[in-house]
Amino acid sequence: MRPGDSTARELASLRAAVSRAAKETPGDPIPATKLAERYFDLALARGDPRYVGYADAVIAPFAASPLPAVLSMRGQLRQYRHDFDGALADFAQALRADPQFASAHAWRGAIFLVRADYGAAKAECDALQALSRATLYGACMGLTLAYSGQAEAGFAALQRALASTDDAGTRLWLLTRMGEVSAWRGEPSKAERFYREALALGIDDVYLLAAWSDFLLDQQRPAEVVKWLANWESSDSLLLRLALAETALKLPAASAHVQALADRFAAARARGDTTHRAEEARFELQLANNPAAALKVAAANYQVQREPRDARVLLEAAIAAKDVAAAQPVRGWLQSSGFEDATLRRLGAASSQLPTSNDVGRKP
Amino acid sequence: MMPRRWWFAFLALCALYALPATAHKASDSYLVLNVNGKEVAGQWDIALRDIDFAIGLDANSDGDITWGEVRARHNDIAAWALGRLTLQRGGACTLQVVEHLVDTHTDGAYAVLRLSGTCPANAQPLSINYRLLFDIDALHRGLLRLDLDGVAHSSVLAPEAGVLKIKAGETSRLAQFGQYLVEGIWHIWIGFDHILFLLSLLLPAVLVPTILVNGAKRWIGVENFRAAATEVLWVVTAFTLAHSITLTLAALQILSLPSRWVESAIAASVVLAAANNLFPVVSRRRWLVAFAFGLIHGFGFAGVLTELGLPKDALVLSLLGFNLGVEIGQLAIVAAFLPVAYLLRNTSLYRKGVFVGGSILTMLVALLWFAERAFNLKLISG
Repeated sequence: MRPGDSTARELASLRAAVSRAAKETPGDPIPATKLAERYFDLALARGDPRYVGYADAVIAPFAASPLPAVLSMRGQLRQYRHDFDGALADFAQALRADPQFASAHAWRGAIFLVRADYGAAKAECDALQALSRATLYGACMGLTLAYSGQAEAGFAALQRALASTDDAGTRLWLLTRMGEVSAWRGEPSKAERFYREALALGIDDVYLLAAWSDFLLDQQRPAEVVKWLANWESSDSLLLRLALAETALKLPAASAHVQALADRFAAARARGDTTHRAEEARFELQLANNPAAALKVAAANYQVQREPRDARVLLEAAIAAKDVAAAQPVRGWLQSSGFEDATLRRLGAASSQLPTSNDVGRKP
Repeated sequence: MMPRRWWFAFLALCALYALPATAHKASDSYLVLNVNGKEVAGQWDIALRDIDFAIGLDANSDGDITWGEVRARHNDIAAWALGRLTLQRGGACTLQVVEHLVDTHTDGAYAVLRLSGTCPANAQPLSINYRLLFDIDALHRGLLRLDLDGVAHSSVLAPEAGVLKIKAGETSRLAQFGQYLVEGIWHIWIGFDHILFLLSLLLPAVLVPTILVNGAKRWIGVENFRAAATEVLWVVTAFTLAHSITLTLAALQILSLPSRWVESAIAASVVLAAANNLFPVVSRRRWLVAFAFGLIHGFGFAGVLTELGLPKDALVLSLLGFNLGVEIGQLAIVAAFLPVAYLLRNTSLYRKGVFVGGSILTMLVALLWFAERAFNLKLISG
């Protein structure tokens, strides 16, 4: 998809501002940072990583800038590439320059959540509360609680955050997460209501569509996934869900989409890109029928990212590959976090009652 | 190579990247370079979307890039791309775009620039300085496949790793050697005729022919392991020496024999070696037999090597690797055979079952091979 006319015009004017600043106020990173932020938004909305590269290049000349906005942008780009240590350091430096810089706390909280470090995440949420940022605090705390075994309290925090904001983008994010938490709590009709409310906002968002599709797939409703994702083949993560749904329905389009995914993962490997490993593991497991490869990728992914969906694909791959030991990190996390999703708990139990891979090898 | 998909892409050119199924992926270019001495040939696939972002191709700003818009900018595209790639071999190499094509990759249409050039020197290291798009897309990568004087390299060129220096034929020589070594081992393992020949010569190594008091001849076990091992050493060394000589002569194309003749003679050698166990003609100096027939087996190995193809620039090294592989495979067989045969040498299982029975079976199988190969029949092997 190409930027629509209004987006194209907006980008053109932001680019013009950057070149003007280069001549008139050299060394001023603000116009470049604004352009980078716009590029990054486009990357997330459309699942198009080229915009991440553009954003990165635009702010590259200002690597030494101590301005919080520049540091924060660089931190976001680093977390996108899964350089979490680098990103945490950038946000920390931004906070030293501006202790009131709430979004830096929010980003740090999000990174700690991905790493399943709930204590550190909570500290960032508390900092947001101290800054009286009710919406950010609710979002941060809601997820931290939901990830760490207090889904009900987490849901309530997300709900309070939703009541505190009119911003459509923020509402979309909160409604999406409320849908996820409801599904974990075994309340599919409630989850569906939140997802539909989020979709009704009419904003392109790859994350929302992916979560909604996963929900529908879990509910055995693949036909609706095909309908929703009809024009989203361009995003790897959505094409994966589309191919899963088409495969479940035995549609003729499935084989071409499975092949396209295989090509794209091969292309990503060729350039040394490892940011889509959770999806790649699902592809290997559910579409390529290769549990051994799936387990390898899922385990490597879990070293870096430990959100519920990362845990789930590792458990599923370990069960398919009959490898009890490989699922141990997830069972440890389920135990220590108390995470409440019934599906994950069932998978965790199933993964501990397997013949070990050695036993399997010894059988004729 | 002409990309075959180009024609399909050409037909779809009315709207190059408005195609709905076009993927989103980070930007890559695909650079294939063949540098042979001073000559440079290559192909560079760059996404039209990236070219558009860098120098603007969409002349009428309608969101689609058409063939006409690309063709009108051929010179600009070539100048822009070549300004971001420098090759050096004993000084800067010239580089020009000799042809413009279009191809599609997983994320849409690409301009294909066919490259040609000349370097000042033909034996120096090659250095590549790649700078395409890094200034505007920090996630861009150049995926390089380079063939330098017949040796393949591949690399991912990134902003912090855009300069490469490759010494001619250095990195892959060892890999090439290893590859031929493995082929050698593999060939002896799947070459049943060689294994059977060797085993036929080794079976009697743990036995000595004796004339009994009543005048009858029979085989009895050797006194000690040393005697058996010495015999095996002579046989294996003679076989190795002989086939190394003919393998080398044939691989270097100094001597060649028709393959049907060679294959038939190999089968005949197995028949004779097995028959010699049953009706001993040669029993003392079996190493002479091993040497004589080893000469024929060497031509057989050379046939495999011809099929594999020997790299011109690493002929001797590959030959050595292959030969060494054959020896390793052979030694593995000996190492498995000798201790077992030695332990069983005084049992009737070995003397009657393995030695006599095995030799008869080997002879029959080899006779069938011989008939197949010499008269071009299909008897046992599909």
